[in-house]
Amino acid sequence: MQQNLFAAATGAQSRTADLAIYSKYRLGGAFDEMFAIDGTVRPPYAELHRRIAELSPDELRQGQQACEQSFLHQDITFTVYGDSQTTERIIPTDLLPRIITAAEWKRLDAGLKQRIEALNLFLHDIYAEGRVLKDGLVPRELIYRSKHYRREMRGVSVPHGAYVNVCGTDLVRREDGKFVVLEDNLRVPSGVSYMLANRDVVRRVFPAIFRSVGVSPIEHYPQDLLQMLKSLAPAKDEISIVVLSPGVFNSAYFEHAFLARQMGVELVEGRDLVVNDNAVYARTTSGLKRVDVIYRRIDDDFMDPLAFRSDSTLGVAGVFNAYRAGNVVIANAPGTGIADDKAVYAYVPRMIRYYLAEEPILDNVETFLCREPKTLAHVLANLEKLVVKAVGESGGYGMLVGPHASKAERDAFAQKLKAEPDNYIAQPTIQLSTVPCFVDGGIEARHVDLRPFILHGAETTIAPGALTRVALKRGSLVVNSSQGGGSKDTWVLRR
Amino acid sequence: MLSRVADNLYWMSRYLERAEHVSRLLAVKLETMIEQSGEHAEISWRRIIAALSGDKFASTETIEAFAATQALAFDRLNPSSLINSLRLARDNGRQVREQISTEMWNRLNRLHLKLSPVNLAAIWDDQPSHIFRDIVDDLYMLEGIVYSTMRHSEGWDFLQLGRYIERAQLVTRLLDIHFGPASRAGASPNYVDWITLLRFCTGFEAYCKVYTAAIRRNRVAEFLLFDAGFPHSVRFAVERLAEALGRVAVGAPAARRWACERLAGRLKASMDFGQIDELMGSSIDAFLANISAQCEQIHNAVYAAYIGYDAESAL
Repeated sequence: MQQNLFAAATGAQSRTADLAIYSKYRLGGAFDEMFAIDGTVRPPYAELHRRIAELSPDELRQGQQACEQSFLHQDITFTVYGDSQTTERIIPTDLLPRIITAAEWKRLDAGLKQRIEALNLFLHDIYAEGRVLKDGLVPRELIYRSKHYRREMRGVSVPHGAYVNVCGTDLVRREDGKFVVLEDNLRVPSGVSYMLANRDVVRRVFPAIFRSVGVSPIEHYPQDLLQMLKSLAPAKDEISIVVLSPGVFNSAYFEHAFLARQMGVELVEGRDLVVNDNAVYARTTSGLKRVDVIYRRIDDDFMDPLAFRSDSTLGVAGVFNAYRAGNVVIANAPGTGIADDKAVYAYVPRMIRYYLAEEPILDNVETFLCREPKTLAHVLANLEKLVVKAVGESGGYGMLVGPHASKAERDAFAQKLKAEPDNYIAQPTIQLSTVPCFVDGGIEARHVDLRPFILHGAETTIAPGALTRVALKRGSLVVNSSQGGGSKDTWVLRR
Repeated sequence: MLSRVADNLYWMSRYLERAEHVSRLLAVKLETMIEQSGEHAEISWRRIIAALSGDKFASTETIEAFAATQALAFDRLNPSSLINSLRLARDNGRQVREQISTEMWNRLNRLHLKLSPVNLAAIWDDQPSHIFRDIVDDLYMLEGIVYSTMRHSEGWDFLQLGRYIERAQLVTRLLDIHFGPASRAGASPNYVDWITLLRFCTGFEAYCKVYTAAIRRNRVAEFLLFDAGFPHSVRFAVERLAEALGRVAVGAPAARRWACERLAGRLKASMDFGQIDELMGSSIDAFLANISAQCEQIHNAVYAAYIGYDAESAL
């Protein structure tokens, strides 16, 4: 491994040797957001670094415990599905904030807005004329064969052409410090409640640092979300909005309840809604009440047993027809999954040039499409260097991290690849950037990614913050909460 | 308000009331154990088990205090155990997480986290009643938090409805065991039992304020059944549940509301005009059974009117 003991790194000794708390901090192949390779503190982190030095390990430990207690008491938990049993866990949260400068954020903000605009134009196109397919920019079979393509959406008119209303794009920071897009989550992205909960707890634990550093506020996200959802409905005095959740057993239930409470709208389950004469109603104690906008946190497949999976008991029979009839808005629109398919992802930079005639502000991670025979051969020959992902999966399921897999695991995966090459893409292993985390009484470097949340209705807004997911195991690059990742507060500096 | 939400709030409240009742009975019982002789202790355990689990009073098995406490408080297989009541209250609360205040939820969740790791054997030789007193106190605090942080609107009314329908039934059941057929089998209740019964309902001091410390069988029954101002009397519970019913689902069709209000009004009238000495002569058994049956009818009527109604008919 190319990692060095931090204290042994050139130039580091004089500056940090006296801080025993950093004794296990290792710098190496990845870009570290707090320390330059020579051990000097990068300017955006100077204030945080100075403040940490004033705290004893005990004070830090107390802060960490306060974070965990707060999450436990609020029952901010996540359900992890295993082979034989499911368990409810707190998402481990790290008390040290991750810092993004105002300049970095400005670029991210512009790049994400550009990207969501292109993605929505693409969705409109493939569900209408299919210009992009006729022009041969994206292969036809890639769209029509995907399980996320919804034939039912053809010709459906969508308010403001906004198919993706809530998007949670995953970005990573490469070895050169540049943010690139790893994937677009366009279906039912989750995690925004953790962005807000992390902020809430860290601000209480470190009020002084918070003030002195100058952090952009994100607390208005629920109002922005409500405003965006309202903008999707035809204008009238009282727009009835609901959050549709699969229910209390869903892994993101906390978030569904949280958002409904913060917006002041009803949280409903499929069984609370009925459709009559192509209109949607909620069953209330006083009778049936009309619903105008459904912010659904339930997958396409389970939304309507009449239109999609007939064995679904979570959805609402007839809701899709009500949607087609224009009597209710569903956000995100059904069928957005086609655009975050991991193979379609590879074409997003081309989409930006095609629809907007602009150069992409944010790059993709280099992506190999295994559907091309030559590329497949290259991927198979380099499995130990690559990350291979199933195109239709998410949440870290169905993937192989080559450098961390055993030979037997790689061989088994190679068989799957050969059997169904269309189903896989590969990407080089990126050394995700590292940030300081409080681990076992000391501060160590851990790999992170970044998930900002983009709202897109009549207009596009992005709260200046994000969910930073942390791979808690030393050296691990897997940040998914379903795979034991944690999270931390993310500070976008005002200046 | 969503019918499902009303349902969850109603049940959350019922389970909390049940948890409070179990905790208080156990706390009082464990505190008074030292004062009771063998035979008497045994029969009073039987009464508690009958009150809390619905088991036949005449069970012949010998009862041992530790096993009884374990079963009533911590047995996860016993559907009405304290731990299950708290778990079910939390499960119901969790399903309406967006409807209840964060302060309420934190308290409810902490209550559940507090009881789960308790090992009765480890605290048994010390003072086992403390944990139950603690839970009762926590539940009082939760009630105060609910009162102060939740909007007093329809959701709150469903909480009231659940709490008081449960209380009316639980107190009626206790009265049935002390004054009904069971009280005439075996050793009949004595002075200590009347005091214990009052304390089961937090009513000893309040009773003394009304009747002085002269503890009489008929007066105890009268107090717990008919006192208009005492929060744990059946009449008090019936009045609160009737009030709550009058406030919920204001937009519902008049016919449905009438079905519920008629039943509640009838029960309320029987409490308002009941007379204890007349009842204690002969008809107390039937009177108590009737209160339970009417509570059950009110429950069913609420479900038919507001929760599980036929969607087609409501269009």
